[in-house]
Amino acid sequence: MLVLGTSAALLALGSGGVLLRRNPVAMLMSVELMLNAGNLLFVLAARVRGVVDGQAAALIVLVVAAAEAVVGLGLALALFRDRSRVDVDDPAEVRG
Amino acid sequence: MSGVLLWAWALTLPGLVLTGLGVGRRPGSASLAGPGVLLVVAVTWLLGSRTAAELRQVDWLPFLPDGAFHLRGDALAAVMLAVLGFVSLCVYVYSLAYMADEPPAGQRRFFMYLDFFVASMAILVLAGNLAVLLIGWAGVGLASFLLISFWLDRPGTLGAGLQALAANAVGDAALLVAIVLVPAGCGDLLTLQTPACLAVPGGARLTASLLLVAAAAKSAQGPLYFWLPSAMAGPTPISALIHAATMVAAGVYLLVRTNALLAAAPPVAVATAALGVATALGGGLASLQQANFKRGLAYSTVSQLGYMFAGVGFGAPFAAIFHLVTHASFKALLFLSAGVVIHARDGEEELAALGGLRRALPGAYAAFLVGSLALVGLPGLSGALSKDAILDAGEQANLLLAVCLFGGTFLTGLYIGRLFFGVFHGPRPDEQPIHHPSPLLLWPLVPLAVGAVVAGYLEWPAGLLSSALGETAGHAEPVRFASPFGFFAGLLGVFGFALSGWRGREQAAEPVRVGTDAGWVGAVARRGYGLADRLAAIHSGRLGRYALASVFGIAIILLIGLRA
Repeated sequence: MLVLGTSAALLALGSGGVLLRRNPVAMLMSVELMLNAGNLLFVLAARVRGVVDGQAAALIVLVVAAAEAVVGLGLALALFRDRSRVDVDDPAEVRG
Repeated sequence: MSGVLLWAWALTLPGLVLTGLGVGRRPGSASLAGPGVLLVVAVTWLLGSRTAAELRQVDWLPFLPDGAFHLRGDALAAVMLAVLGFVSLCVYVYSLAYMADEPPAGQRRFFMYLDFFVASMAILVLAGNLAVLLIGWAGVGLASFLLISFWLDRPGTLGAGLQALAANAVGDAALLVAIVLVPAGCGDLLTLQTPACLAVPGGARLTASLLLVAAAAKSAQGPLYFWLPSAMAGPTPISALIHAATMVAAGVYLLVRTNALLAAAPPVAVATAALGVATALGGGLASLQQANFKRGLAYSTVSQLGYMFAGVGFGAPFAAIFHLVTHASFKALLFLSAGVVIHARDGEEELAALGGLRRALPGAYAAFLVGSLALVGLPGLSGALSKDAILDAGEQANLLLAVCLFGGTFLTGLYIGRLFFGVFHGPRPDEQPIHHPSPLLLWPLVPLAVGAVVAGYLEWPAGLLSSALGETAGHAEPVRFASPFGFFAGLLGVFGFALSGWRGREQAAEPVRVGTDAGWVGAVARRGYGLADRLAAIHSGRLGRYALASVFGIAIILLIGLRA
C-alpha cells in the first residue's frame, strides 16, 4: 500500500510538473518522475507475483528513458543556442 | 504479376531515398522511375490474367477487432494505381521544370514528399481492411499538409496546411471510431455489410455514416469543403496531382470499395447522393465568385467530386469510378496548363491581372481548351460519357436529385468558360513580360490531353473498364454514347461555356472577390473560412496545451476502461 501510494504521488508530481513548468529541462525531469512511478509499480508487481517479467520491463523503461532524455536535452540545447533563453512555448511563433 | 501489384506501394521508396541522398544530376531525377514502374505494373496486371492477390499478416495490431496487416490487389486497386501512376508520372516530369527555380535542397524535399505521397496513396488503395486503410489515409493527409505548406516563407501557406490537417482530423477520427466499433473479426472492407459485422448498436447505418463522414472530409464535400480551395496555396503540380486527380478522390474510392455496405443502409445512400448534389451545385456557384485562377479551378474539383458522390449515392459505384478516371485526366490537364500560365507570369494567379494570353501561350491555350470541353461534357469527349453514366443512374434512382445535377452542368459551363475566356481571350491588362515555357512543361500536357479526349472510350462501346473491374465496383450498367438526358446536359454545358465567352466580350471580366461581396454565396463562404480558421487554431503550438489535452484524454480512457 505504501509503495502504491508513493507511485501515485510520484505520478501526480510528475504530471503536474509537465503541465505547469515551461522550462524544458524541468519538464524532462518531471517526465522521468512519471516513468519512475511506473517502474516502481512494475517492480512491486514482480515482487508480489514472484516473477521477473516486471523487473525486465523496468529495465527496458530505464533504457527508453535515457534515449528520451538525450533527444529532449538536445532539443533544449538547440533552443537555448537559438535564443539564449529556454521556454517551450517560444517555438510556437514558428507557426504561420 | 499479381504478387508484384501488392508491393506497388514500395515502388517510389527507392526514389525517396536516392533523392534524399542527392543522387542524380538534376534534383528529383532519381525519383522519376518510381511512378513509371508503378504505371507499368498496374497496366500489365490489368492487361494480363487479372488474378487477385491477398497478403494477410494476422495479429499485427492485436488490440483491434481486425488488426491484420491485410493488403488486397484486385481490379479496383489496379485501376486506381494505373490512374495514380499515369497522373503522377506526368506531374513528376512537369515538376522538374516547374520547380527548377527552387534551391536544390528545396527541390529534393519536394520530390521526397511526392514519393511519400505516392507510396501512401498506393497503400490506401491496396488496403484490404480498415486498419491498413487508415495508414494510407493518414499518410496522404500528412503529405498533403507538407506540400500545401511547402513554401513556408510565403504568407498563408502554413495556415492553409493546418486547415487541411484539421479537416483531415475529422475524417481520420470518424474512420478510427469505425475501426474500433466493428465487431471482432470484422474490418475487411468487402465484408462490412455481412450480418455478423453489423451486430453493433446502429448497425449498417452507423458504420456507413462514419465512412461517409471520413469520405466527405477527404473529398471536400458538404461543410468540410473549406480546406480544398485553401490548399491552392501549394505549388501547382501538387494542386494537379493531390488536390484534383488522386488524393481528393480517395473518399469516392472508399465509398465505391464499401458500396455493398452503402446498399445495406438506404438512408445513408440517399444522404450521400444529396450531399453530392448540394456540393456539386454549391461548388459551381462558388467558382463563379472567385478572383483567383486556381481557386476557381479548386471549386470546380469540389463540384465534380460532388458528381462522383452522387453517383455512389444513386447506387451506381461504377459510374462514380468512371467519372473519377476521366476527371483525373482532364482536371490534371486543366491544372497543369494553369500552371504554365502562372509560371509564365511569375506566379501571378489573380484573374484581374491575367488575360489575352492566347497568342503568347498557344500550348497552354490548346490544352486548357481541351480540358474545359471535356469538363463541360462536349458530346464525344471523356467527361460527357462519364457524366452521362452518373445522370442515367440518377434518372433511375432519384429523379429530383438528377434534375438538380442536370442543371449543374450549366453552371459547369459558365464557370469554366469564365476562367477560360478571362485568362486567354480579351485584352491584355498589362504588358508584363512573359517567359516562354520550357518543353518539359508542355510535353506532360500531351498524354493528359489525349486522356481527356479518349478516356471515355475505355468504357464505350466495348465496356473494357467495367469488364476489368468486374464486381469490385458493383454492377455496371452499359454506358450509352449519349442518352437523351446526358446529351442535353452536355449541350447545356457547352451553351453555358459559350454564354460566358459572349459575356466576357461584352464586359471586361470583373471577378467578385469573396470577402468583399455581400451576396449569399460570399456570406456562406465566409462562414466556412471562419470555421476553418477556428478549427486550425487547435494547433496552437503551445506544448502545455497539448500536454493538458493528452492528460484529459488519458483520464477519460481510464474512466471508461475502469467502468467497463
